[in-house]
Amino acid sequence: MIVSTEWLAEYVDLPASVEELTERLTLSGLNLEEVQRVGDDNAIDLEVTSNRSDCLGHLGVAREIAVLWDRPLKRPEPQPQDSGEPIARATSVTNNCPELCARYTARVIKGVKIGPSPAWLQKRLQTLGIATVNNVVDITNYVMMEIGQPLHAFDHAKLAGGQIVVRRATVGEKFTAIDHKTYDLSGDEVVIADARRPVALGGVMGGAETEISDETVDVLIEAADFDPLTVRGAARRHVLFSPSSYRFERGVDPEGIDWASRRCCELILELAGGVLCEGVVDVGGPRPRQLENNRDHIKLRYPQIERVLGVVIPSETVRKVLVDLGCVETHNCDHCVKVVPPSWRADLTREVDLIEEVARIYGYDKVPTASQLPIVPSALRREDVVLDRIRRVLTAAGFDEAYTLSAVEPELIDAFRPWTEKPALSTSTSVLRGATCLRQTLVPSLLVCRKTNEALSNPVIEQFEIAKVYLPRDGGAPEERRMLAIASGGGLLELKGVIEALLREVAPRAKYTHVATSGGVLDAQRSVGLVLNGQPLCLLGELSAAGRKRFGLRGPASVAELSLGVLMESVELVPTTVALSPYPPVSRDVNLIVDESIAWAQIEAVACATGGSLVERVVFQDDSFRDATQIGTGKKSVVFRLQLRSPDATLTSDQADGVVSRVLTALEADLGGKLRA
Amino acid sequence: MALADFLAELNSLASDAQAAFEKATDNDALEALRVEFLGAKAGRLKAIQKGMGSVDKTDKPAAGQRFNAVKELVEQTLEAALTRLASATTTSSAEAFDATRPGKPYHRSEWRVGRLHPITQTIERMKEIMGRLGFTAVEGPEVEDDHHNFVALNIPESHPARDPLDNFYLATAVAGQNGTAERLAAAGPDGKPLLLRSQTSTVQIRVLEETPPPVRIVSLGRVYRPDTADATHYPMFHQIEGLCVAPGVTMADLKGVLQMFWQSYFGMESNEPIEVRFRPSFFPFTEPSVECDIWHDGKWMEIGGAGMVDPNVLRAVGYDPEEVTGFAFGLGIERICMRQHGITDIRDLYTNDVRFLAQF
Repeated sequence: MIVSTEWLAEYVDLPASVEELTERLTLSGLNLEEVQRVGDDNAIDLEVTSNRSDCLGHLGVAREIAVLWDRPLKRPEPQPQDSGEPIARATSVTNNCPELCARYTARVIKGVKIGPSPAWLQKRLQTLGIATVNNVVDITNYVMMEIGQPLHAFDHAKLAGGQIVVRRATVGEKFTAIDHKTYDLSGDEVVIADARRPVALGGVMGGAETEISDETVDVLIEAADFDPLTVRGAARRHVLFSPSSYRFERGVDPEGIDWASRRCCELILELAGGVLCEGVVDVGGPRPRQLENNRDHIKLRYPQIERVLGVVIPSETVRKVLVDLGCVETHNCDHCVKVVPPSWRADLTREVDLIEEVARIYGYDKVPTASQLPIVPSALRREDVVLDRIRRVLTAAGFDEAYTLSAVEPELIDAFRPWTEKPALSTSTSVLRGATCLRQTLVPSLLVCRKTNEALSNPVIEQFEIAKVYLPRDGGAPEERRMLAIASGGGLLELKGVIEALLREVAPRAKYTHVATSGGVLDAQRSVGLVLNGQPLCLLGELSAAGRKRFGLRGPASVAELSLGVLMESVELVPTTVALSPYPPVSRDVNLIVDESIAWAQIEAVACATGGSLVERVVFQDDSFRDATQIGTGKKSVVFRLQLRSPDATLTSDQADGVVSRVLTALEADLGGKLRA
Repeated sequence: MALADFLAELNSLASDAQAAFEKATDNDALEALRVEFLGAKAGRLKAIQKGMGSVDKTDKPAAGQRFNAVKELVEQTLEAALTRLASATTTSSAEAFDATRPGKPYHRSEWRVGRLHPITQTIERMKEIMGRLGFTAVEGPEVEDDHHNFVALNIPESHPARDPLDNFYLATAVAGQNGTAERLAAAGPDGKPLLLRSQTSTVQIRVLEETPPPVRIVSLGRVYRPDTADATHYPMFHQIEGLCVAPGVTMADLKGVLQMFWQSYFGMESNEPIEVRFRPSFFPFTEPSVECDIWHDGKWMEIGGAGMVDPNVLRAVGYDPEEVTGFAFGLGIERICMRQHGITDIRDLYTNDVRFLAQF
């Protein structure tokens, strides 16, 4: 809302400086956006919150100033001479949709002389940045900017039958607006029609065929109350936002309607001449207002002010503020005050609304900065502690944390689907350039970042992200699973090393098993799934050539995605120590020849299971040796170390050999493994 | 040269090349073949091309066309052979690749500690300070239903905040007729469409519904609004919201908590006392509602909305507004983070350029 200081000064004595004015207004609810000097006037742009439609006119802003500086408000009382024929002879109004238009008033002035507005009026509109058209149209705009009530002037001669019908638009009905564009109406709009056709889109814009022109002689002035939602819908649907629709969307003062109509007619008579028909056609009335507890007033209990604000405000001050704002006091005692709020403040219906009014006028600066809250404990959630530790491991391992958008392009959903086959949830409008699907994995997003970084020739691209994926469920909200995803330039085993490190950090005793993957964008061999407690925990692998191509990557890349929910079940945040043996360990290296298909995990499992309590560690060393002539076709040599230790004594060589031979026997029996000769 | 001879030469080169490329077993052999057939100086194709000069003028277009076709064919054959060898390498060693082996350390040319994203750093810092003030951090779903995103927050059916253009309502794809996919609104428990939450206040409702007073929490996380991305807007951003509900909580408590919060937050860079200022504002879920500014670095800095929890919100979660009062405040993490670090484009936070992240 742009206000002119010159105009405001007509209703209230302004403080000495614009700075003083805007500072106080800002602190009492009309936030200053900008001040511009226009000639000898100031255009002050004030931000008006959606509940304060009363301040969408100069009078409303002037009232705020009057209350804040305790100065009288000079409000004009328009009394136009209606010396013409009775209005009933000139026009009629039929309202077929009172639910869309609670009240409609019409006045008719005959014999006006259309011409330019006087300089003072043009200047005021120009200060506000409103284009001037002709005297009658300018006056409707002027009054709107004065009281906040939109008005419309029709060329009465061009209204078929000289009458007004307020009705719902019909489906597919055509309407040509003042902008000379034709709109197809949906049937949800309210239109003002004459005997034949729509002549205005109610509350939004007038029609071209009945607009005021130089030839206009008789004018019909509309002042009405259109339903906010209907006006908003129409303005949105047809992209026709106007100062009028803006005000109707926020609701107009039901009792300001007639004032605005009279004021408008008074100015037309004064500036454009003509004769006002006697009386007014006034159909409908104010929309019912519901006050708290179905009372006809609002009760404000004085102690409630301190209870909410934490400051005592003298009851005299409270009463004065409310009355100054336009409330009518109907009761006052030691305990409470009862008031009827003014018609222009539809936002005041409850005790707490009055408390806010008192607070903002009294001044929030008088609310002390003093918390009386008692000390209470608060603890980090387990999950937050785990995430914190995981972040520590990953940054220590040289990974940067990335944040990517939760929505992705549909193609990225299909690219990689580790957790679900269900179609992704999609958004009504694209979140960002084609990103319409809620993602089901973080990996593709990280690979897109990787491509960006490759294009920038960033040499090291090691990233991770912790965020949710959205897995659809039948009926109701999707399951939101928090994932950790990593994208790296290292190989599978390097990435696995990172996963192992973070598992050691938060779930040291978690025992996972390996499962094969189905490939896809991952290399089927150089990828693996980890399963924990029967649930899929993590998928990791190197991208296949096809996978790299799919994401437009030049260099090698590996990815991992870990389900943090599954991990949480095995998390141990408070480790329990075990007694450590004071005796030195004994180690035995084993070089085992097995079929290539035997996995290290199998060997390790057998060794641990059969070695008994003396086995402290089974340490993999190498499995790269293959030579058909030396160890046979399809065989490999697996070198590992058994580290043994007893809690009771230094192990003897015999004891150690005993364990090793037990393990070897089992490895041969279970896996066909033989010690290399 | 007669056209027929020229074409015959080309055809025999094509079949030779195909046979040879298919037999190649390693990259060295393939490279030798490439030079033999496609070499720029002495390749067989080059030799034939030289012969084209002696083809009859009238036949030249036909000769040229065929030459190009064969050249392309040979190049494709080479490409195919390269791909075959590349995949063969992985397959042959893949048979021996044991993914159950333990992980290995990374070997990098440069040793470097990774960086936490600036949003994480900002969130963690705020969470930590609020924790010391007794506020426990909570989270909730990002996909919300009508009740938690609107109704319980005192946003009625007619409120503009519900406009489909101002929210990401969700749909699920279903197979329609003729095999086309159709969009079906994804409905919540109340049968109304689900949406990406537009504020983290939804979490407060969820906590209040399940917890009797007193409650002192901060909710954090991603929120979504259909803004066109530019230097200061992004359709996804992060919010932190504090909520305190108990008997006797006042706006003075709100001011005091905010003052302590910002004093702690900026304490490392500034010893001057932080002053908090309220300006009236409007939110459906608080009454009174204020915008909060802090005096920092010699100017007022707008830091977010706040207010006393609206009695309608308290009632919606089964609290008695005559028994308890509460305050709530919220702020956008990106804005604070950007201002603190001098980030001028919000999109930089989501591009994840390594060089950008390395600065934090």
